[in-house]
Amino acid sequence: MKKNILELNNVDFSYGKKQVLTNVALNIKEGTFSVLLGLNGAGKSTLFSLVTRLLNLQKGEIFINSFSIQDYLNALKDIGIVFQEPTLDLDLTVKQNLYYYGSLKGLGFNETLVSIQDEIKKLELGNVMDTTVRNLNGGHRRRVEILRALINKPKLLLLDEATVGLDLKSRFDILAYVRDLVETKNISVLWITHLFDEVTLEDNLSIIKDGQIIDSGIVKDIVKKYEKDNLVDAFNFLVR
Amino acid sequence: MKKYIFCMKGIIYKELIRFLKQKSRFFSALVRPLLWLFIFSVGFKTALGLAIIPPYETYITYETYIVPGLVGMVLLFNGMQSSLTMIFDREMGSMKILLTSYINRNYLLFCKMFATSIVSTLQAITFLLIAKIYGVEISYVAIIITIPIIIISSIILNAFALFISSVIKQLENFATVMNFVIFPMFFLSSALYPLWKIKDSSLLLFNISSFNPFTYIVESIRFSLYMKFDSELFMILVISFVITLIMAFVGFKSKKINHS
Repeated sequence: MKKNILELNNVDFSYGKKQVLTNVALNIKEGTFSVLLGLNGAGKSTLFSLVTRLLNLQKGEIFINSFSIQDYLNALKDIGIVFQEPTLDLDLTVKQNLYYYGSLKGLGFNETLVSIQDEIKKLELGNVMDTTVRNLNGGHRRRVEILRALINKPKLLLLDEATVGLDLKSRFDILAYVRDLVETKNISVLWITHLFDEVTLEDNLSIIKDGQIIDSGIVKDIVKKYEKDNLVDAFNFLVR
Repeated sequence: MKKYIFCMKGIIYKELIRFLKQKSRFFSALVRPLLWLFIFSVGFKTALGLAIIPPYETYITYETYIVPGLVGMVLLFNGMQSSLTMIFDREMGSMKILLTSYINRNYLLFCKMFATSIVSTLQAITFLLIAKIYGVEISYVAIIITIPIIIISSIILNAFALFISSVIKQLENFATVMNFVIFPMFFLSSALYPLWKIKDSSLLLFNISSFNPFTYIVESIRFSLYMKFDSELFMILVISFVITLIMAFVGFKSKKINHS
């Protein structure tokens, strides 16, 4: 049986008096592509911030690769993160951005590049390594952010609305690449989105509404359970 | 240990590249103290008579007197600006990348402040060299000796700025910081006139200035530029360094992220 690479138990979170997450439980198995689906404001980004320790946990437990998030020196060691908003330094070249991030993972410049050598080729970024990020288009920037998240070969990849603002081709290219990482590198992925067309019937899905996980399981099982024709109908039924 | 060295190296590397690429920021940071040196000091040197005060052993020109204060000004403005950027960036951009690293967060903040202090030091040295060319009596050896004091002072100011912008929400704006922090700190110090001059006019302002850490930063730079060592000043500088760093770490930790 596959072990949990990410585990959330009874997580509550509030901004002041406003309760944003309530009793959230979520398990992501090793080597799986999992989707967290929810409308805007459902609590996806707050959950993402808690897992990445941008927000301090108020109640409940989070384990990454069996390490509690409180032990962040170990828990954050094996995760790669792609934020919803751009986080590359526009004044630096792609290579300089990668070097910088590698150093934050405790890697030297050469080690950083070696750890992602194959992925540079797969993402077709070899010819833009010395280009300033400011001069790259949105699709390229996103690919660089994914490449950066793969530095030091993470076991868990967290992506928060990673395809927002991209054209259809770029979106599906990135999605296909990330799915391929699960197959070929056994990396576990938590794909956070509000876009239905990014979810397949075989994916592990958790649906979040008003800060609560309202259902989880394989997409086709959820669709079947609510006797709907597709995910959109099942989702609308659940969040109505 | 290796990862901590790489981390420090990477953060400094990034700050230096940004510094080299943002030339306008570099020049604008220099314009302010140079205006004070070239214009303000000319107007005020006749109005302000300076007695022989430590560390000076002879009468000095007013330009010579205000140079340490203007070095402090470079560090103060840079420190405030960079710390505010850190607070803003916490909610967006590259600071998120920094904060999700698995390396100790206080160490990361220290690296960031240290990297900023290197940039500030480069600006301060450039200012000192221009002042020397302008005719202010400073030796090259004195400039080199002063570099560690400038770095320590810059980290103190960065840490102090990080603390106050973390805990006082209203200070998340550079104009407000200018009016309520930078200018009072600068004017209530020995940067532009010796403290005994302030004492002559107002005992209250003298007492406030005596508690202003910026006064001791300016005086440390002044002593160092005159190649004198004052153990009391040095101790105050070291104590300020430790206290402001702790304040910055605690303040940054308590700062809440606002989510929309």
